[in-house]
Amino acid sequence: MISGGILPREPMPQSVTARLPTSEELDAYAHEQWECFLLQLISSGQAEKSTSFSSSMMRIFQRGLLRQRDKEAPRLTESGFQFLLMDTNAQLWYIIREYISNSEEQGVDQADLIAFLLELSFHTPGEAYSLDTLTDDQTTMIKDLADLGLVKLQKGRKESWFIPTKLATNLSVSLTDSSSRKQGFVVVETNFRMYAYSSSKLHCEILRLFARVEYQLPNLIVGAITKESLYNAFENGITAGQIVTFLQQNAHPRVAEKLPSVPENVTDQIRLWETDLNRVEMTPAHFYDEFPSRDVFEAASDFARMHNGLLWEDAKKMRMVVKAEIHMLMREHLRGQNK
Amino acid sequence: MVNATKGLFVSCDIPMAQFIVNLNASLPAAHKFIIHVLDSTHFFVQPDVAGMIRSAISEFRDQNSYEKPT
Repeated sequence: MISGGILPREPMPQSVTARLPTSEELDAYAHEQWECFLLQLISSGQAEKSTSFSSSMMRIFQRGLLRQRDKEAPRLTESGFQFLLMDTNAQLWYIIREYISNSEEQGVDQADLIAFLLELSFHTPGEAYSLDTLTDDQTTMIKDLADLGLVKLQKGRKESWFIPTKLATNLSVSLTDSSSRKQGFVVVETNFRMYAYSSSKLHCEILRLFARVEYQLPNLIVGAITKESLYNAFENGITAGQIVTFLQQNAHPRVAEKLPSVPENVTDQIRLWETDLNRVEMTPAHFYDEFPSRDVFEAASDFARMHNGLLWEDAKKMRMVVKAEIHMLMREHLRGQNK
Repeated sequence: MVNATKGLFVSCDIPMAQFIVNLNASLPAAHKFIIHVLDSTHFFVQPDVAGMIRSAISEFRDQNSYEKPT
């Protein structure tokens, strides 16, 4: 590949493809598919239609995110909660990674898949590309990608083609590129009330993770961030930092220009409530006293400090507390000192 | 000969420390768990009381919070 190289695939001529979806229709399609997939993933039972992924594929995606005990409904794990609060691009990459590592077990070559994905991300969104240009493996993959909302499949009279959406082209964009950021929808007030201008069930589920949802109107979700709802979130393994980042990244355009986009008293209070849960630190340790001489004490204290295990010492009374992990080493050291 | 005692090293802020001392004093002699009071923010306690201390603290925290009846 010495020359600049054109794409191996050219868009199909307009004469063959019938009416192509507009970019808004395409974005709406991609958004809907992705949300449907996510809702099905966390199996809240609220997805209106299920994707055509086999249940074994869904279980692979759910592997790190859901945990199921017998006879119980599946529950989100800590990483599951954090996954939901992540940015769409990060979520997309997680799912793609799982998909790729699973495909190896199915006998499909990983390098091919990754090359195809990267190729796809350089296509023009909204243009139709013929399905005939794909190998068999790639055709199977395209069907799965259509379920995720990365491409849209369409059939003409004789040909079928796929249209990459913005989700696909965003694969090769850096994660922090703000031009691809979707519009935010959350307004947080200084009285801890939260207004989310969204009609998406997924957004409602995500907000329920850490806030108390009070009213759900057709285009608005009203809620409040309370101590109890946050404690719930912390128990589930979500950190205050993640909640604050989520609120800041999804701030409604009206408040996003203000600095700070989320009031500081709310973010400070969220962090304070988190530290309130961890007021006491406990470490398994051993307590040493009755040192025969100051030299032995100082040598032992230096030894413990070298191994990063000295938790507390009182030089006047010659007492110290050392982490339990290095107790054996301390014993050896003290025995050596005795000789 | 140096004496080694096995246990749990507890580190917290001063109000919590007082709470733990109070908790210790309220228990009958057989259940007292503080082996040494090291200073105003550190203790050395019996090794198996971690869960008990944490649940006493969360009970204390719940007593201080008000939940609006839904």
